[in-house]
Amino acid sequence: MNRLNKLFASKTNNLLSIYFTAGYPALNTTVDIAEALEKSGADFLEIGFPYSDPVADGPTVQHSSEVALENGMSLKVLFEELAELRSRVNIPILLMGYLNPIVQYGIERFCKKAAEVGVDGIIVPDLPIYEYETLYSSHFIDNGLSNIFLVTPQTSEERIRKIDGLSNSFIYLLSSSTITGYNLKLSDSVEEYYKRIVAMKLKNPTIIGFGITDSSSFAKACNYANGAIIGSRFVKLLGEDGYMDKIDGFIKGIRP
Amino acid sequence: MKIKVCGLKHPENIEAVAALQPDYVGFIFYDKTPRYAAGLSADALQGVPASIQKTGVFVNESVENIDKLIAEYGFNAIQLHGDESPEFCAAFKGRVTVIKAFGLNEEFDFEQLKDYANNVDFFLFDTKTKIYGGSGKTFDWAILDQYKLDVPFFLSGGIGSENIAEVKNITHPQFYGVDLNSRFEIEPGLKNIEKLKDAFNIVKNKIQQMKYGVNEQGYYGDFGGAYIPEMLYPNVEELRQQYLTIINDDGFKAEFDDLLKNYVGRPSPLYYAKRYSEKYGANIFFKREDLNHTGSHKINNAIGQILLAKRLGKKRIIAETGAGQHGVATATVCALMGIECVVYMGEIDMARQAPNVSRMKMLGAKVVPATSGSKTLKDATNEALRDWIGNPVDTHYIIGSVVGPYPYPDMVARFQSIISAETKKQLVEYTGSELPQYVLACVGGGSNAMGMFYHFLDDESVKLVAVEAAGKGVNSGESAATTALGNEGVLHGSRTILMQTEDGQVVEPYSISAGLDYPGIGPQHAHLFKSHRGEYVSITDDEALQAGLLCCQLEGIIPAIETAHALAQLEKMKFEANDNVVICISGRGDKDLDTYIKYFNY
Ligand SMILES: Cc1ncc(COP(=O)(O)O)c(C=O)c1O
Repeated sequence: MNRLNKLFASKTNNLLSIYFTAGYPALNTTVDIAEALEKSGADFLEIGFPYSDPVADGPTVQHSSEVALENGMSLKVLFEELAELRSRVNIPILLMGYLNPIVQYGIERFCKKAAEVGVDGIIVPDLPIYEYETLYSSHFIDNGLSNIFLVTPQTSEERIRKIDGLSNSFIYLLSSSTITGYNLKLSDSVEEYYKRIVAMKLKNPTIIGFGITDSSSFAKACNYANGAIIGSRFVKLLGEDGYMDKIDGFIKGIRP
Repeated sequence: MKIKVCGLKHPENIEAVAALQPDYVGFIFYDKTPRYAAGLSADALQGVPASIQKTGVFVNESVENIDKLIAEYGFNAIQLHGDESPEFCAAFKGRVTVIKAFGLNEEFDFEQLKDYANNVDFFLFDTKTKIYGGSGKTFDWAILDQYKLDVPFFLSGGIGSENIAEVKNITHPQFYGVDLNSRFEIEPGLKNIEKLKDAFNIVKNKIQQMKYGVNEQGYYGDFGGAYIPEMLYPNVEELRQQYLTIINDDGFKAEFDDLLKNYVGRPSPLYYAKRYSEKYGANIFFKREDLNHTGSHKINNAIGQILLAKRLGKKRIIAETGAGQHGVATATVCALMGIECVVYMGEIDMARQAPNVSRMKMLGAKVVPATSGSKTLKDATNEALRDWIGNPVDTHYIIGSVVGPYPYPDMVARFQSIISAETKKQLVEYTGSELPQYVLACVGGGSNAMGMFYHFLDDESVKLVAVEAAGKGVNSGESAATTALGNEGVLHGSRTILMQTEDGQVVEPYSISAGLDYPGIGPQHAHLFKSHRGEYVSITDDEALQAGLLCCQLEGIIPAIETAHALAQLEKMKFEANDNVVICISGRGDKDLDTYIKYFNY
C-alpha cells in the first residue's frame, strides 16, 4: 500500500491536491513549496515536470513550463532536487508530465528513480491505455507506482470501467473537455456527468481537476468526488512576489 | 485479423492446433453437436500457451454450470451460442471475455444487438440456421455493412480454404477475426492441421503484403500509435472507427473522384522533363502537383477530409499550416462546402508567407497566430490540438500531413496516394513499365512523399528517396533534417523520429522553407527510414534555392522552395542512361517569390 492508498483509506472527502511546475519560478524551490503546502494542509501534490510542447495545457502552465525549461529544469535536475523530499515531506506525491521526456530518460529508469525518491504515482496525459498496458505497466507495478488515468465528460462508460479496472489509487475526473486553466462552470451537463460517475459506483476514489480555482468551485467539486485539484490558479500565485508567504493563506482560503 | 479455431476435443489435436498459435481456441459444451468436448480432461488444456485465449462455447447453459466449467478448464473466454439475454452476458462480463454469437441472414435485425453492446466483449456472426450452433455455411457478408456498433466481431460460418482469401477483403472497422471450424476438419472435432496451416499463412500473408503499411493498432513497425490525452480520445476514436468505412463507400469515392477531376484538375500531368533529362543523363519525369488548384498536393488531402467531416456531421473545421499551402487548401474546401474554418499558423510563418495569409482570409477563413514556442508549424499544431480539445463534438481537425495520432497518418496517406496511382498509369504510356528506378520527394511531415511512394512501397526494385531540409547545414544548429539529427520519441500523437534534446524537449527546427520547417516526420516515414526501405537525405537552403532557379531556367517552372529541395537532390545522384526517375513537384513557387527575389537580387 503506498501513501496514496493510505490517504484514501483514511480520508474520503474534501481532499485537496495542488499542482505546480517544478523549476518555476526558480530552481531549488520544489521541496520548499511542497513542504509549505503540506504544512498548510494540502492532502497530496502533483509536481509537474516541464515539456516544450504541452498540448493539454493552457497559457498559465505553458508559461510556467517555458520558464522552468529556461531555468534548466529537466527530469535529471528534478530527481536531484527530490533527493531530500522524503526527509521533509510526508504527504503523497505524484509526478505529472508528458511522455516524451520519460521516453528519453528511459521508462524503466524513470520508474525506478521515482520510486527511489519517494514518489507515489504518475500522471502522463498522453500515455494511452493500450500503450500503458502493453509496454509500460510492468515498470509502474514493479516500482509500486500508481498510474493515474484521466476521464472526461465524453469518456464512454465502457472505457471508464476499463480505467477503473486498471487504476489502483484514484481516477482523475476532468471537469470538462478542456486544457488546463479555464474556469469551471457548473452547468447542468457537468452536473449530470458527475452524477453519472457517482452512480457508476467505481472501485477507485475520484478527484476532480481542471478549472478549480477557489473555495466555491472546490466545494462544488467535492459534492461529487472525493476531492479536487488546483493547478493553474496556484501556479499563478507562484509568479507573484513573496509567494512563499502567500501559500498558507491560499490553501486556507480554498478550504476554510 | 485474429484467428479462432473452434470445436476441438482431442488432446493431441489441441496441442497441434496450439502450435500454430491461433489467438483463440474453442471447446464446445453442448451435447447435440458431434464436437461436444465433455469427455475432455482439464489437463489437456494445460499445455495451451497463455497467449491463446481458451474459450468455452455454450448453448443456453445455466450460469452455475458455466461457472463450474470455467473453473474446471480455466477458460479465459466464453462464447454464448443460444438465446442468452444481455443480463445473462452481464453476469460474466469483466470476469472472462464474453463473446455472444448471432446467426445472420438478410432479415437479421441489428437493433437487437444494442442491448448487448455494454455486456459483451465481442460478437460472433454466424449464418442463421434452425438449430443452435455453427452451420458451416457462409452468409452474404455485405449485410455486415448494417452493423454500426463499436463492439468488435468475429466472422464465422463456412469459412474454408477456398474463401479465406476473400475474408481479407472485408474492411469493416469492427471486423476482429475469423472463426475456423468445420471446413478444416478430418472428421467432426478433429482438425486438419495442414489445411489450417495454409489458412494461417494466407491470413498472415496479409501482414506480409502490408509490410510497410499500418497494423490494426495504428503502428508501422515501432512507430505510430495514438499518444493523445484522454480529452482527444473520443474525437480520434470516432475517426478510427469510421474512416475506412466512409472512404471505401461508393458514394464517397464518387464525390472524391469527381472533385479531384473537375475542381482540382486531376489527373495532374506526368511531364517528361527533356532538358533535365539531358542534364542529368536519365529520363526525368515531373509529377505536376503544382498544377493542382491552390498550387500544391495539399488540396488532395483537404478534399478527402472535408468530405469525411461532412459525413461525420461536423460543423467547424480547424487546421494548422506552415507554408500556408495546407491552410489555403483547407480554407478553399471550407468555402466550397460552406463550413466555418479556423487556421492556426505560427507568427513567424505568417510573416514569411504573407500572401498565403491574405489568400486564406479572402477565402473566408480566420487565421489565428500561434505565439508560443518557436512560433512555427509545430506550435501551430499544438494550438490546433488545444482547440480540438475544447471543441470535441462539432469540430473536425484537418491535419495537413501524414503526422498525428492514428488514423491520421494512414488516412492522409490514402488521400495522397492518388499521386502514385496516377504516376504508375502515366509512366506505362511513356516507358512501357509502371515501375521507375527512382522516385523522389521532399519531406516536411511527409505527405507528398508518402503519396508519391504509396503504390511503390511493395515494389522493392523502386528506390524511394526522401529529401529533408538541412537548413544552413545539418551540423549548423539551424536545420530541419529530422532523420539525421533526431531520434525516437513521441510528437503530436505518434511515436516517430523527432529532433529533441537529451531530456526530451523538442528542438526548434530551421529551414528557409516553411513547409519543411518541422522537427518530426510521419511515423510511416520513420518506419521506412529505420527499415531502410527509403533513403533519407537532406539539402541545404542554398542548394535548394539554386535548384529552384535552375528549374525556372531549364523547364520554365517556378517550383515551391519545398519542392526545390527534391530537385536539388538530383545533383547528388548518379544515374544509368536508361533510368526512369520521377520527382514529385509538390507545389508552385508563387508563394516564395519574395524569398527567391531577395536571395537572387532580381
Ligand atoms: C509545396 C509543398 N511541398 C511540400 C510540403 C511539405 O509537406 P509534406 O511533407 O507533408 O508534403 C509543403 C508544406 O506546406 C508544401 O507546401
